[in-house]
Amino acid sequence: MSEKPAYTKPLPDLRPEDATFWEAMKEHRFILPCDDAGKPFWYPRKYAPGTLSETSWMDASGNGTVYTYSTHFIGPSKAYKGDPPHIVALVDLDEGPRMMTILVKDEDGYPSLDPDDVKIGMKVKIVFDDVTDEITMPKFTPAG
Amino acid sequence: MAEGTPDVKEARRMLGKGICIAGVGETEQGIISDRGSFELLTEVTRTTLDDAGIALSDVDGIVTAFSFVESTLMHSTTLADYMGMKPGYFASVAVGGATAPLMAVQAAMAIDAGLAEVVLCVRGDNTRSGISSSGMIAMAREMSHGAYEAPFGLTTIGGYGLLAQRYMYEHDIPQEALAAVVATQSEHAALKWNAMLRDVVSVEDVMNDRWIATPFHAMDCSLVSDGAAAFIVTTEARAKSMKKKPVYITGIGEGFSHQYISEAESVASVRDGLGRAGRRAMEVAGITPQDLDVAEIYDSFSFTPLIALEGFGICGPGEAGDWVLEGNAKLGGKLPMNTHGGLIRQAHLGAMHHIVEAVLQLRGEADDSAKTEFNGGNHQVPDAKLAITNGSGGILAATSALVLSSEPPSAA
Repeated sequence: MSEKPAYTKPLPDLRPEDATFWEAMKEHRFILPCDDAGKPFWYPRKYAPGTLSETSWMDASGNGTVYTYSTHFIGPSKAYKGDPPHIVALVDLDEGPRMMTILVKDEDGYPSLDPDDVKIGMKVKIVFDDVTDEITMPKFTPAG
Repeated sequence: MAEGTPDVKEARRMLGKGICIAGVGETEQGIISDRGSFELLTEVTRTTLDDAGIALSDVDGIVTAFSFVESTLMHSTTLADYMGMKPGYFASVAVGGATAPLMAVQAAMAIDAGLAEVVLCVRGDNTRSGISSSGMIAMAREMSHGAYEAPFGLTTIGGYGLLAQRYMYEHDIPQEALAAVVATQSEHAALKWNAMLRDVVSVEDVMNDRWIATPFHAMDCSLVSDGAAAFIVTTEARAKSMKKKPVYITGIGEGFSHQYISEAESVASVRDGLGRAGRRAMEVAGITPQDLDVAEIYDSFSFTPLIALEGFGICGPGEAGDWVLEGNAKLGGKLPMNTHGGLIRQAHLGAMHHIVEAVLQLRGEADDSAKTEFNGGNHQVPDAKLAITNGSGGILAATSALVLSSEPPSAA
């Protein structure tokens, strides 16, 4: 097993309303924002889309299904130069919302899943990848 | 034409004033490193005024877009000042690839409101040669969420790829269908005087090209180019004293389904959201897809026109791939599509060139054979009278469509 490389990829833009989510991620807890009827949504916002009610949070399983994916042979910036292809996916969480993520091989959060090992409809589970001291990224890996 | 909901009737009332495009122009496209953004916009304004047979002093309104190079929050008035205009109406439109048809709608509404009579709609940029790093960031920001998409390494190409792969999965669409869009448009671009890519490619050529992000090879993607294009919107009454035969805007429509691709509900909802633009434009125009002679459909990627053809009702859901593979989109086919080569083969200036090409088609001027210095050819659809054109911003997020006609709208 190789040593985990230093993280050079883009980090999430942080707004005050995002703090609850990223603080939970740091503790390896996956939570989802909900509206006042308890319906989870994605992506996190201070006020729930549609109803504009104040957001509350629920614990989520971190289990989901690949809705679609695209194997990227070229990344969005120089930070990806020389990397093997990475797989960006949309995952339908068991709780309902759909979120974007990157598919990885194992629970270390890297490296990328082999493009031959992904298909639409496959079950995946969350991996907590501590990419910096402050940010833990929600990545997904094949379940079971 | 008597039928229709009140909002459709209201759109017909406005367009019934004989709102038309009385002049068009386009510069060379490609890598133009010796000219700046405002210079290109002015160059194409001169061409367009010549085409209409009017002077800058005849123009009393200006609608522009935005620049990735010359950053200004007042783009329309900055350009007006650069060109020495004092317009009575000015607006800048910024909805990504939906901008060009929205510029036409903005001009029509300004005319209807009595704010202007002759509106210059102009867009161009030296995006390829002159883009700044802040412009690059702005372009990326338009497409992906900064916290919940961009950090996963999403590219714009991959964002379209996510939707395209799901579309292909649901409808069992072969990779060849995407390649057929590229091959078809390459035949058209070979005839268009200012297309960047003039070589004809086959389905196999596209299939064998290098991958960028699945399901897209390099040739499935649109170009990055420098250049400008423009059109003049006015009324039938004013166009009478101008040089060219007016082309009427007889239908307008818009549709929105999501901003970020993660938020798109389903393939069907995206198809319906963007499709609303075209369906509504046809409803306002009082026509059906069977009436169309030519389709200039936004083609940011080879997949893009497929879902639009379905959304507009030109093909059934999942049927556009076969439709293109059967040759229906070719010159001489059932409904020639992107007869100028589109964003994939001609140049990328949002949907500006789609509008210009539609106007040239309806004027019977899409034969570039006389442009021997550019090795032009004939891409005219014989006797074309009705065209549909559209543009989409974001990842098929926001769409605007126009129906253009060689004849004025019939009385409501």
